[in-house]
Amino acid sequence: MGELLHVEAGRMGRVAYGRIAPNEDLVQSVEKLCLAQGFRCAFVRGALGSLVDACLLQRDGSCQTVLGPAVEIVSLAGEVRPHTDGSLRAALTGVVSDPNGRVYGGPFVAGANTVCVTFEITLEEWLPDNPIQVPAFAVPLPSPHTTGDQSEQSIE
Amino acid sequence: MPEPRMALPRPRTLVHPGPFSPRRIEHMEAAGGQHLRLSIPPQAILHDALVDAMSRHGVACASMTLIGGHFSTFSFCFAGADPSGEAVVRYSAPMTSQSTRLLFGNATLGKSQQGRPIVHCHAVFQTDDGVIAGGHVLTDRCRVGHTPVTVLATSLEGFELRLQVDEETRTPLLRPLPEPSHG
Repeated sequence: MGELLHVEAGRMGRVAYGRIAPNEDLVQSVEKLCLAQGFRCAFVRGALGSLVDACLLQRDGSCQTVLGPAVEIVSLAGEVRPHTDGSLRAALTGVVSDPNGRVYGGPFVAGANTVCVTFEITLEEWLPDNPIQVPAFAVPLPSPHTTGDQSEQSIE
Repeated sequence: MPEPRMALPRPRTLVHPGPFSPRRIEHMEAAGGQHLRLSIPPQAILHDALVDAMSRHGVACASMTLIGGHFSTFSFCFAGADPSGEAVVRYSAPMTSQSTRLLFGNATLGKSQQGRPIVHCHAVFQTDDGVIAGGHVLTDRCRVGHTPVTVLATSLEGFELRLQVDEETRTPLLRPLPEPSHG
């Protein structure tokens, strides 16, 4: 108890549909679609397609890999919000099915979920009554973790 | 605070049979969309009911969320490797389950190359033997059972989604295109 429920009032704005090509990352492509459309905040209103392999974040911080060559996305929900440094971040969770129809679920790890054949997504722009204040052209400082081992990536 | 980091699997870059297209995200937008709630009644064929309901509201293209319901006949397939090598992926033979519970699905309403309505649908469902599975739904072979299927639709207006053979993947895919002008 004691936590305040935060309610953000606003309205839906424009609707955008995007088709993402093979080998592009799902999470970052959703962010790029928002960049292309000028959306600062958006909700996913429809999404289906396939991934090469799925990488889903587990509760212990590890990644569960579901092998393709085609892992179908059968459910997806998410939103895009501006990060404190002014960049855009998509948070996407969902359920995927492997080539035998077995299902797995979790958050999609950015940079590790590439599109297999195609991915269709519909985004609806979210316009908060009080626009989120973030630096318009902020350049984030490089993290010491981003140098060195190229196999390391953010798990967001 | 530094973000948690760990080694992740290296994504695989698949080699599709056709030429690489420089356009990686094709997109179009509309000022806003209609929101419609559909309740597909028992006995209806899913594809026909979706197309008919949307057509009655003047909607030719839409993104839809299937929230739940029951099917007396449910037909689906899975995606796997294409042994012919003509494409990277091809669908399995259709499978059918009788009394099936739909858990969640997403669908896109678009147009075929000839302009006829088509529905592309993926869903997770519980088959008649109790197994929870997910895959590509053959909506023209799915008959609603004893519980209506609820659908939330967002119309896509000012542009259309049309099936075209994608050169890179050699697969028919929906593409957002400007609406053809009439006159």
